[in-house]
Formats: sequence, structure tokens, C-alpha cells
Amino acid sequence: MTESRADFARPPVALALGSLLRADWAVLLRNKISTFVGVLLPIVLIIVTTFGKASTKLGGSEQIVGLALTLGLITSCLLGYSLAIAHDRETGGLQRLRVTPVPTWTIMASRLIVQVVASLLTSVLVVVIGVIVHGLTLGIGTYVLVIGSAVVGSLMFLALGQSLVGLVKTSNGVSAIGRLLFVILVLLGLLGVTGVLGDTVKAIAGYSPVGALMTLFMDALTQVGWSGQDTIALLTCLGYIVVFAFIGIRWFRWESR
Amino acid sequence: MTVVDISGLSVRFGTQLAVDGVSFQINRGEIFGLLGPNGAGKTTTLSAIEGLVTPSAGTVRVDGLDVHEHPLEVKARLGVQFQTTSFQEELKIEQIASLYGGLYGVRLTREQIVASLRDIGLQSELGKRFRQLSGGQQQRLALFIATIHDPLLLLLDEPTAGLDPQSRRSLWNRIEKLRGANKSILLTTHSMEEAQAVCDRVAIIDHGKLLTVGTPSDLIAEHAKDPRVVAVAHGAVTLEDVFIGLTGSEIRD
Repeated sequence: MTESRADFARPPVALALGSLLRADWAVLLRNKISTFVGVLLPIVLIIVTTFGKASTKLGGSEQIVGLALTLGLITSCLLGYSLAIAHDRETGGLQRLRVTPVPTWTIMASRLIVQVVASLLTSVLVVVIGVIVHGLTLGIGTYVLVIGSAVVGSLMFLALGQSLVGLVKTSNGVSAIGRLLFVILVLLGLLGVTGVLGDTVKAIAGYSPVGALMTLFMDALTQVGWSGQDTIALLTCLGYIVVFAFIGIRWFRWESR
Repeated sequence: MTVVDISGLSVRFGTQLAVDGVSFQINRGEIFGLLGPNGAGKTTTLSAIEGLVTPSAGTVRVDGLDVHEHPLEVKARLGVQFQTTSFQEELKIEQIASLYGGLYGVRLTREQIVASLRDIGLQSELGKRFRQLSGGQQQRLALFIATIHDPLLLLLDEPTAGLDPQSRRSLWNRIEKLRGANKSILLTTHSMEEAQAVCDRVAIIDHGKLLTVGTPSDLIAEHAKDPRVVAVAHGAVTLEDVFIGLTGSEIRD
């Protein structure tokens, strides 16, 4: 047996992660439909609600901007992320990356970082358009709180997306269940919190991922100051992040077979 | 000098024993062919070397390093080409080269990437995406990526499957060049012609067990009088006759 050679060194993590980040960013930008929908959907919601009494019916401008931010995060972080991972797993792209001498966490971390950065950029754009179109006046502190809430929201929906690709093996299955989850989450957040579906649903909705995040966005946008309700909403979101991330990591498979 | 040392390797998927007590070695500069019908355990053996599956028994050592004790160090020594190579579809060839260079610790300038792609006749495809390439072009790119870090050992899983004769010959020539550079290569194939053309030694595997190992001519000589081989031979015994004789004639899916 030969002595092992020292010149087959593992790559520096910074070089490997940098290469992954550049590639993942290029892939994200090239997924024009997914990116376009993730950005366009919230902006369309903000614009169409300026007509008639839609804004009042939906709970006011702050509620609409909060809902638009949440919609953007669900679209890109839950649907976009989970579908991209499921597709790359099915076509063998993930497995190909896995045989390179980089720790597997860097492969997933790169994708998560790119997705969070993209979500934050989208969130800033949505808030700025919301401020312009709905005539809101927000201070720097409010922007910071909204961005902070967007980070929490994107991590929560990414964790949910990770658990989805952890539990469902095929990209068709991920697509179908992801869309179903999208509808349930949005309806729960949109209708549930208004009380239209009754007090029980309203209480449940408040603790749903969308309901908890909407609370954070709403209280940040209405600038009411931090309350016990916000603490509960933040803890709820963090709880979802921990639980969904655990499921997503524990049951994740690099191959679809 | 031994580059790969597999000893008593078994891999189990649930109740199914995919690889059963396989042992073989591959030497420096040697091209070693792993032959077997579908589902024989070829790809699982490769996966064990790549560290993608955990053996239920036995050891796999590459360059003296245990695959499961030093997975990343072993992966740094491997160049891998999968049966169905898939890079991220949205990436252009240039971006794929840059990505995998970085993942293997090789910093490539654009000029170096262009020069490398010119060597494999893909310079005009620089801006294309992987899925836009022909089968032969995809295989050439996959082999280029597999060797981007000048690995000690190349693992090629059915590298010529689905290629036309010209592309197959071109790939054989590239494999020969790698042998000239003292690389060790483990390839799986269904093609006896390929095994005879490029492999120094071959092993026949079936139902997870290694049936025989040797040079193609030694295997023919060793099994020429085996009644199972004689029964399937038409005239002079060939490597394919040995393969069919030892693994049976039934079709595997």
C-alpha cells in the first residue's frame, strides 16, 4: 500500500463555498419564472389593492404589505427552494456535488444563503413599493424590524421546504404537496386571522406559520412597539424553524431512489 | 503500488444484500473493468468507494485511507463520472467548470477554462448549458470535470453507454491518455468489446459476488473449458462467452 499523498488536499471552505454561492446564484437568476413569480406576486397584490375599497376590506395598508411580504416568502422559500432541491436530487445533480471533497453542509448552506439573500432583496423591494403605492410612512427602525421579520420568515419557510423534500421523495410529489400547503397556509393566514371562519380557526391561525409571521410584520409596520403578542409570534416562528429543520435534516435523502 | 484495496466488502439495503464479500485491488496506472449484468452490484461497489453507501462489512481503502474514516480526503483523490451525468441544468459549461474547479480546490481563470475546453473540442460550446450538448459532448465534459483536479483514481460508471461508435472510440482514446499519465481507472461496463479494448484486468460480478478476476486473455484461458462457457460459445471462446457462461443467459432488468 502506498503512503497517502499530501498534495490531494481538501479545498479551502471559503473557495468551495464561494464557488457554490456563485453557481447557486446563477441558477436562481436563470429560473426566471420562479424568480419572476416570487417578486411579481406580492407586487401585484400591493398594486391591485389600491383600487376601490380593497385595502380597507383586507384590513388596511399595513395588513396588505404584510400579506404581500408573506406571499413572496412562501413562494420563493417554500415552493421555489423545495422544488429546486427535489429536481436536482431527481436528476442526480445533488449526488454529483456530494462526491466532491466538500462537507455536505456547505452544499445546503450555499442554497439557503442564496435563498435568504434573494428573499431579503424581494422583501425590501416589496416594502418600498408598498410605502410608495399605499402612502405609508416608515422610519429606519421599522425597516430594520421588517427586514428582521423577513429573515425569520424566510428561515421558517425554508425549514418547511426542507422538511417537505425530506419527507417526499419525488419532484412531482413535492410540487403537488407544496402547492397544497401554499393554498392552506395562505387561506389560513388570509381568512383565519380575520375571524371569518370562527374563533377556533382564528386562534389556530394566529399560531400558524403565516399567522405568526403576519403578526410580526403587522406590528412592525404599524409601529405599535414590541408586545407580548410579538414575543409569542417570534417564539412560534422559531419553534417552527427548529421542528421543520429537524424533520428536514433527519429524513433528507440525497437520492430520490 | 496499490491504489484501491477492497476487502470483504458487503453492502446491504434493508433485507437485500447488494454486494456480498467482494475483495479486489487496483494498482497504480491500471485500468480495471467491473463487468456484470444489471443489478449485479457494480454501481453499489462504486458507491462504496465514493463513500455514498455505508458497508455492512469489510473495508474500502483508497491510497491507504479508509473511505469511512477519511471521506473528504478520499473524495479529493477521486474523479467521478456517473452513469447518467447530471450537472445543474441552468449552468453554462464555463460555470460548471468554474464550480467544480472550486469544489476540488483548483482556481481556474477564464483563459484556462477556455483552453481546457478547446482540448476536448468544446470551445465553441462555452456559453451553452449542459442539457444543450449532445451525448458525446456531455461525456467529454463529464470526463473533463472528473479529471479537473488531476485525481489519483478515476471511477467511470458505464462511461460509453448510449454513445455512437465515434464518440466511444474518442472516449477510449482519452482513457488511454489517462493511463499514460499513470492514473488508475475503475470502470463499469456492459461492453465486452470495451473491456477487452481498454482494461488491463477485469472482474465479473453477479448477485453481489465477485465471480472471477484477471486479464481478459487470462479469463478466457481459465474458463475456456468450463461447461457453462462452452455451452454458450459459438466457435472460439470470447470474453463475452465467459461472461454469459458465468452469469447466465436470463435477461436482467
